[in-house]
Amino acid sequence: MLNAFHSPQSVALIGATSEIGQSILKYLPHGNLETCFLVAREPGRAAQPIKEMLPSQIKLIEIKFQADDSDSHRKIVEELFAHGDLDIAIIATGVLGTDPDLDEAANALNVMKVNYVASANFMLLIAEKMKMQGHGQIEVISSFAQTRPRVDNFVYGSSKAGLDFMARGLNDKLDGTGVSIHILRPGFVRTRMTKSMPEAPFTVNRDVVGKLAVKLLQSGEPIGYAPSILKWVALVFTLLPKKIFRRISNRK
Amino acid sequence: MEKIESAGWGRSLHSISSEYEPGSVQELQEFVSANEISRGAIAHGLRRSYGDSSLNIGGVTINSEFLSGLTFHSENRMVTVGAGVSMRTLEKAALERQLFPPVVPGTGYVSIGGAIAADIHGKSHHTTGSFSSCVKRIQLLYSDGEVRDLYPEGPTANHFWATVGGLGLTGIILEADLQLIAMESSSVMVEETRVDDLEEMLSVLSSSDAGFQHTVAWIDLSGDFRGRGVVGKGNYITQSLDSTPSKIKKGTSLPFPKIGNLSLINKYTVRAFNEMWFRKPLTNGTTTLDSFMHPLDRIQNWNRIYGGQGFLQYQFVVPEGNEDFLELVLSTMKELGAASFLGVLKRFGKGSPGHLSFPKPGWTLALDIPTQLDNLEQALNSLDSQLCARDGRIYLIKDARLKAEFVPLMYPRLEEWRAIRNNMDPRGMWQSDQSRRLKLC
Repeated sequence: MLNAFHSPQSVALIGATSEIGQSILKYLPHGNLETCFLVAREPGRAAQPIKEMLPSQIKLIEIKFQADDSDSHRKIVEELFAHGDLDIAIIATGVLGTDPDLDEAANALNVMKVNYVASANFMLLIAEKMKMQGHGQIEVISSFAQTRPRVDNFVYGSSKAGLDFMARGLNDKLDGTGVSIHILRPGFVRTRMTKSMPEAPFTVNRDVVGKLAVKLLQSGEPIGYAPSILKWVALVFTLLPKKIFRRISNRK
Repeated sequence: MEKIESAGWGRSLHSISSEYEPGSVQELQEFVSANEISRGAIAHGLRRSYGDSSLNIGGVTINSEFLSGLTFHSENRMVTVGAGVSMRTLEKAALERQLFPPVVPGTGYVSIGGAIAADIHGKSHHTTGSFSSCVKRIQLLYSDGEVRDLYPEGPTANHFWATVGGLGLTGIILEADLQLIAMESSSVMVEETRVDDLEEMLSVLSSSDAGFQHTVAWIDLSGDFRGRGVVGKGNYITQSLDSTPSKIKKGTSLPFPKIGNLSLINKYTVRAFNEMWFRKPLTNGTTTLDSFMHPLDRIQNWNRIYGGQGFLQYQFVVPEGNEDFLELVLSTMKELGAASFLGVLKRFGKGSPGHLSFPKPGWTLALDIPTQLDNLEQALNSLDSQLCARDGRIYLIKDARLKAEFVPLMYPRLEEWRAIRNNMDPRGMWQSDQSRRLKLC
């Protein structure tokens, strides 16, 4: 249960090896935190840096998951609620789709499975459980890339756009239930995943994203950008004529 | 059942629950017996608990307002009172019969059910003990739908003392028999003393307890936080000085306007208010029972002053000999810049046999603090840890942020209470947000 400071007692990080997800955990208030679920393909790899950033008395529960094994997700979500109420779930699963061993179609399929199918599945399953407990916040890591298709990342952008669309719809559906969805749309973030890529304007470190993500949860607002200025950039992007947008957005 | 959003008095915690408003005890019995409620149910009265004791997010909250019976038994100064009756209503009716509850809190807007479930205390604690000292019978609705009478002694004593201070988690209190005291006047003889620092305040409070039925101090939690303030002492007047029959005189009670998210509390406004309060003319003479007992009721909805983020009340008791902890709290508040216009210090007398009853011998300090203050959560967690080391405890009915791990240390009879509670409620029907947050059940 949240306390008077709105500090959570239990948090789940889906996609626990995500550096953005870990950064959100780092900046969440820890004063009331007792249990943290780390759901990842390799939860052990996620646990080490998280142990270092959280107070030692917080119980870390590692749960292994496969993004493309949708049938197992329900059981994982059951486990998240088996210990009592879950206050906050952060859905940070995501891949860029740049695996050199796969061709374009195989990469795209992987992106769709992880970024959209798995994330949306977790979001829906967790929301259903939270509805039964009458409270909870789900923070979904969407992306600035969902604003408008770009030649260099339209597959990634489409997966995030699908997730974003569903999150917005679900948030409306959950109105009045005590459960809320918060969509964070980061721009280019310096992480392991983007190390080999050229930096875009308004690039930020993951700490900036973590802080803004926590601020978004605490404000109760449904949508936030990281950095915040991207809200206005997104508005401009959606209004630009196609020709101009293509020219300025092609970073190759 | 209608879904409603409710909040504790501190307005820092909100909760959506299904509100059940029974029309009779029989209807309530049928509801309790017939329904499996996954998130349980908790009764509520006037919602003066500061945090989440009366909230049940995703579950059922049961309004006790219909429990409004009030029957006086003049031969032995007893009253049978419904759990939904407010203390103010009871006081008014009792005074008309020259009677009065021996223990009343700082506000008259608490229900009798709430007063028992929190085992409340008042300025008279050093002479009367807590509210349970005047409770001679509790009628409780169990989760099996049965209604049973509980007494402080005999075979039902365990259930009685688990219910006193039991935060509504043993069942629904339907009514109680209370032993009242005889009153000859509706006035109180009051003496106020201005004190310059904490040491003097403790000394005046200690030396006053023997000569006064009521003692309490307002402590200035602003400026240099040295603990200056005003000690108030009072005695009931034993011979009627009133020309009119005893009654609660209608005082001025001003409504506080809705100000939305705006908070009027900051170190400057508090400093100004506290300076004025410290310098106000002292009362030395008679005053009405109402204004002496319920100073908080002069302004309705005063909790709105903290704005939308709300506030919390940090109330603890620490055994005598640990006065350094009071100084530590003052210095911590000073460091945080946590100016507060409501700081109340009192010396408790003997505790009650209630398993989770709060009072025990020592100093109790209550202070209101806005929740949005930076680093407040960590600072209070650190104070809790030091409080545990000194054998002190936090008042659960005021709590909205205590860590669950501290509860068994502060309330060493928690396990014993849990065993009795589980026996009384094997279905796990009675739950609240607080019981989940603090892992009480």
